[in-house]
Amino acid sequence: MDLKVELNRYLRNVRENLRLDPMSETEIITELAAHVEDRCQEMREIGLSEEEAIERSLRLLGSAKMVARQVYEAHSQGTWRQALLAGMPHLFFAGLFALNWLTGIAWVPIMLGFIGAIVLYALLHGKPTWLFPWLGYALLPVVAAGVSLLYLPQGWRLVTLLLYVPLVLWLSCFITIKFIRRDWLYSSLMLLPVPTFIGWYMVASKENSLPSLNLGFLYRFAPWTGLTFLMLGISVAMFVRMKNRMLRIIAIIVSGLASTAMVTLASNQLEFSSFIGLAILMLVFVLAPVYIERRLMKNSHLAAP
Amino acid sequence: MKRELIKGSIDSLLLCLIGQQPMYGYQIIKELEGRSQGYFKYKEGTLYPALHRMERAGLLAAQWHGANGGRQRRYYHITEKGRAILTERRSQWVDFLTAMNCIIQPTRA
Repeated sequence: MDLKVELNRYLRNVRENLRLDPMSETEIITELAAHVEDRCQEMREIGLSEEEAIERSLRLLGSAKMVARQVYEAHSQGTWRQALLAGMPHLFFAGLFALNWLTGIAWVPIMLGFIGAIVLYALLHGKPTWLFPWLGYALLPVVAAGVSLLYLPQGWRLVTLLLYVPLVLWLSCFITIKFIRRDWLYSSLMLLPVPTFIGWYMVASKENSLPSLNLGFLYRFAPWTGLTFLMLGISVAMFVRMKNRMLRIIAIIVSGLASTAMVTLASNQLEFSSFIGLAILMLVFVLAPVYIERRLMKNSHLAAP
Repeated sequence: MKRELIKGSIDSLLLCLIGQQPMYGYQIIKELEGRSQGYFKYKEGTLYPALHRMERAGLLAAQWHGANGGRQRRYYHITEKGRAILTERRSQWVDFLTAMNCIIQPTRA
């Protein structure tokens, strides 16, 4: 048994389950490696073989998953400030709908510019947890561009959609996969409001035929639309304050399901089947990153020696 | 009961040890074992989450040092906030011990 090989296997297992920012992960792994090396050295000095020393040192440290889970819980809980920052984009949109600010269309580019600036700041400052909800909203111009394609003349609409859909899918997958490497939960956090937007869009398109779609009719539902985003904001803030990973997953799923239920009930325009469809879509958006993460992990295991 | 007592006292023990001199993880384990004559035996992996939790709470601060160009070690030292908590815990512990002794010790006839 080779110390380096066994230690690396153990540390890789810890790292895969830590799900923290790369800098913290490197520090923790270096600290644990030094601990095992110290323990092994001591055991060799009292006469144990290399194999026994490694086996016993790693056993004394405990299972890699347990160590990673406890370190994750020590690091994962964000401050109240971080919780507020994470919930803020949802709260902004809650305000945008609830206060009927959509009438003054100038608010939308201001809001998108602001979101872009915040995302850029967070990307340059260590990609903190609160970045991810903002990142989801930063993709809104892409979605808006897609919606506007529907208003093109008949022939153009089909051609541009054929180009647009693969491009958006590629962009979404690229960003999602990039952040899944750190923690799939962050990608879920990013995608969380998408089913709510789709739900309200479905309500809008039910009420108006697509080319004449105008946002004005949404004012009737303004308090409810505001409330769905407020609920998302509160649950994301709670997510940041939670230490336990399982509770975090439950918070995301419950808030996603509750917001889709609220869209269905408040609009009174969608059938039960639409709610089921939205709920499934929500689960796909929130849980697809787990599947992708597993695939990525499997591939990296196959590539590792 | 012993397990619960040990689990509940980890923060105070760490503050006390690190309050005396900056230490790294493995050194803390050895000190705890040595000074308590083997009474305090922790699952070693549970030490680091406790240290990191206390660091994030501002009770400890950490710094990397290389031992003569050799292994890099993360030394923990106590902060002002940690020292204030330690003083408070010490006083609570003395009160608790005095009260326990009054009850638990056999009464003299």
